[in-house]
Amino acid sequence: MTVPTAVLQSGLLPEGLNVSFKLAPAIIVLGMLLLFLAIGFVFRVADTENMWVAGRSIGNVENGMAIGANWMSAASYLGMAALIALSGFYGLAFVVGWTTGYFILLIFMAAQLRRFGKYTAPDFVGDRFNSDGARAIAAITTFLIGFVYAIGQARGMGLVGLYIFGDIGLPGLSGYQSMVVFMMAITVGYLTISGMLGATKNMAVQYVILIVAFLAGLFVTGFTQGYSTLLPQIEYGMLISELGTEFSEPFVNEPYYLWIATCFSLVVGTCGLPHVLVRFYTVESERTARWSTVWGLFFICLLYWSAPAFAAFGTNLYGEQIGAVYGDPGMTSAAGDVIVVLAAQLANLPQWFVGLIAAGGIAAAIATTAGLFIAGSSAISHDIYTNIINPEATQRQQVLVGRLSIIALGVITTLAALDPAAPIAALVSYAFSLAGAVLFPMFFLGMWWENTNRPGALAGMTTGLIVWTIPMINEVLPNYLGGISAPLSAPLETWVPAIGSALIAVPLVFVVTIVVSLVTEEPDMETKRVVRQCHSPEPMGQHRTAEDVVATDGGDAPADD
Amino acid sequence: MYEKILIPTDGSDTAEVAVEHALDLAETYDAELHSLYVVDTDSMSLSLGPEQLDRIEQGNWGEMDEVRERAEGATRVVADRGRERGIDIVEHVASGRPHSVIEEYAEDHDIDLVVMGSHGRSGIRRALLGSVTERTLRSTDIPVLVVDAR
Repeated sequence: MTVPTAVLQSGLLPEGLNVSFKLAPAIIVLGMLLLFLAIGFVFRVADTENMWVAGRSIGNVENGMAIGANWMSAASYLGMAALIALSGFYGLAFVVGWTTGYFILLIFMAAQLRRFGKYTAPDFVGDRFNSDGARAIAAITTFLIGFVYAIGQARGMGLVGLYIFGDIGLPGLSGYQSMVVFMMAITVGYLTISGMLGATKNMAVQYVILIVAFLAGLFVTGFTQGYSTLLPQIEYGMLISELGTEFSEPFVNEPYYLWIATCFSLVVGTCGLPHVLVRFYTVESERTARWSTVWGLFFICLLYWSAPAFAAFGTNLYGEQIGAVYGDPGMTSAAGDVIVVLAAQLANLPQWFVGLIAAGGIAAAIATTAGLFIAGSSAISHDIYTNIINPEATQRQQVLVGRLSIIALGVITTLAALDPAAPIAALVSYAFSLAGAVLFPMFFLGMWWENTNRPGALAGMTTGLIVWTIPMINEVLPNYLGGISAPLSAPLETWVPAIGSALIAVPLVFVVTIVVSLVTEEPDMETKRVVRQCHSPEPMGQHRTAEDVVATDGGDAPADD
Repeated sequence: MYEKILIPTDGSDTAEVAVEHALDLAETYDAELHSLYVVDTDSMSLSLGPEQLDRIEQGNWGEMDEVRERAEGATRVVADRGRERGIDIVEHVASGRPHSVIEEYAEDHDIDLVVMGSHGRSGIRRALLGSVTERTLRSTDIPVLVVDAR
């Protein structure tokens, strides 16, 4: 059997975590939520008197911070340390994959997307391939990604909330389940009240809270427990030999193939995630698009560099105070998911300080949930409703459809999070496989190969969806249905793991898209010109899109071949 | 009596029915007609996402073709028909929450009369979609002429 230990499902209540109502942390968290609401209220209306002129521009650093906050979720804050704690070397696939993804974005997509200049991720697919069918598949994928990804956030919020508020005991639900319902209700309510503009403004604040909380937690835990002094990110190396084979002997517990598959899925998934891609549409020029990616990478790096150290401290403290981390019974996935909070608690740090670290986790989860829910609702409201079903929709009808889709997302996410099938980071990586298998090839080929056409895109996306669905049915679905044990087929799980299905899917989707594009008619000249303009080395003026350039001076960027 | 008349429009058929009334009044009183389109930021945020709101914040509207075309199209309809009849027209596009933008615009520009269409929604549909007209009525003390689409 090659099931990663991290994916095994066990008791949901984290052992060793002090579950009870705590006054100081509760005040910190409630204060933080009120701050978010206040910021949201202040910025609820855009102040634009004179609209058609270009106003101030967003700088590299500011946009970089927004990239960082939008990106780092409960999966980064809690889940990554959890996976490293539970499965050691295997967890590094997440650090490596997520970081590498941004390099691919930087080199191949950020500036090119800025040149294309549209609104949503499905917009690109729909406009590039001139197809409502392709737009619909991309929009449904966007919605699905938002759903799967948000389950992980809900779980993270539920577990951390459980530490802070204790068992609030909603009738008929366990402590964890009550907390998921409670936290999701707050999140959806917060999004409604503060509005999306407020949610955006909040992202910078949320980044600061989460990075300060995480780094402070790491330094203080390391210092008080004598693990480290100035650079815990490096000093944790001394612990490695004591931690168990998960850390010191790679590929003993999880095979090499799974590591590569997971890592690859995360790389291509990062490049296909709608809420990451849309950020590049809005910056003032392609240069800003590039530099803000570099800054975003730096801000993300601050946390990613520290997560393994935090995981190592937490694992060691757990081993000393609670029991063996690995083997049977070992540390449960629920305890792993709160290892960051747990480590601070086991280090006997003051309660308010542990509360601060927990608050950082909640900030991370809320920032990303906001981004995801809006991406999901825009897919339904902008791409499916306004562009396909009812092109004459008034603004108020769009608001209604958008609100309803946010509520629908909130409800199904909460329901799915009540009894989730996997730990946070694993849940999130299913979304990455999906983004990588369906959206990434369309963006990459659509941007770089002008002969990609509509039938090719449709065939490719359908292939990607199918390849992603098979392992999901094989491994994940049985957890939600009684009576069948997962996986349905063990060999299939070995070679096409749900967590890394993009390794199989992406090459397949590329081949299918290219072959179908070659045997069917080439796209028209105008589309080709737009594509050439998107990746032409000639710099483009600020605030222009490839379509403008093609429309005004014919877009004489040289052909690709 | 009326020197400046404001007609908020979203380009919908409902808004169109009010245009005729506004034009006639402007002609009668020889008034200046202000045609205002409000980009509803709530709708933008739900249908395009926070990144696009960043764009609004930055004022990069020029590059949001779809939105710009829609807005300019809506005010142009009023402007064209007004110019045919020799009425002075002011076109304007703003963003925010429609009723408060309408109210602010009316105060800043010394508007004497607001003419607007109403869907005549009632019951659940009104509770869900809300009524810009109703909110405008409540928030301003300038005379408002409501033209019901039904």
